Amino acid sequence: MGKTVLIVDDSNTMRKIVSRSLRQAGIEFDEILEAGDGQEALAVLADNSVDVVLSDINMPNMNGLEFLKAKSEDDAIAGIPVVMISTETGADIINEAKSYGAKGAIKKPFTPDLINETLGPLL
Amino acid sequence: MDRAQHIIESTQDIFSSMIMLDVSAGEPYSRHKTVLENSISGIIGLAGTRKGLLAIHLPKKSALAVTTAFLGMDVDEINEDVRDAIGELANMIGGSIKSALDPKGSNIQLSMPSSVFGEEYTIDCLADAEEITVPFSFDGNSFLVELQIAAE
Repeated sequence: MGKTVLIVDDSNTMRKIVSRSLRQAGIEFDEILEAGDGQEALAVLADNSVDVVLSDINMPNMNGLEFLKAKSEDDAIAGIPVVMISTETGADIINEAKSYGAKGAIKKPFTPDLINETLGPLL
Repeated sequence: MDRAQHIIESTQDIFSSMIMLDVSAGEPYSRHKTVLENSISGIIGLAGTRKGLLAIHLPKKSALAVTTAFLGMDVDEINEDVRDAIGELANMIGGSIKSALDPKGSNIQLSMPSSVFGEEYTIDCLADAEEITVPFSFDGNSFLVELQIAAE
């Protein structure tokens, strides 16, 4: 059965760039799902089987940290690995993200190689 | 590293790694809120222990060239894709500036990026802000990256 990734970013441009970088990194997904903020991401996770999530932090409505916290409190989706992909990679923020279960962080700007290094071990 | 050099290195890194464009930096200067003409600006605010804004200003032709390279598809008018792409550029450059000012990441907050497009406009921030602008060029195009930041 193929794998599914969920890309969470309020920027449509960045969602396209992340999708392209996944292909350039040689990571093949059968399905790439998208969400524009944390609330949309929770809804997507409730309705789909997702193998890994790539999430921005600085988003409207529900930001990446709030999304992680809400996800960690829902046993049905808590185990899905999340990697943060953001301009926000200060130690305090990343430690907070990891306390809510984030498995890693990728700083924007990023390269396909960096995505491969971070995401590969989770798949 | 001084602020101008940080702007130069961050901008060049973002353009080369995300857009595959090599951009050359000119001499930093103070823009003094001069009028921008037929341009689009991506803007992100800084709040918390340091207040200010980071903006990237591109003439229309440059904005279309950058967005075309960013998205890998032809763009020939200022549309939602261009606004989003230029806002995201401001977000990434602003994030890099924030990392330099606030390495731990919890003392300065970034706003959501926004964009402005018009035939003539100016962008003001704080009255007492230090302002530095770096001009960049690539393939016959140009743009500015401006940092306004209030004194500590």
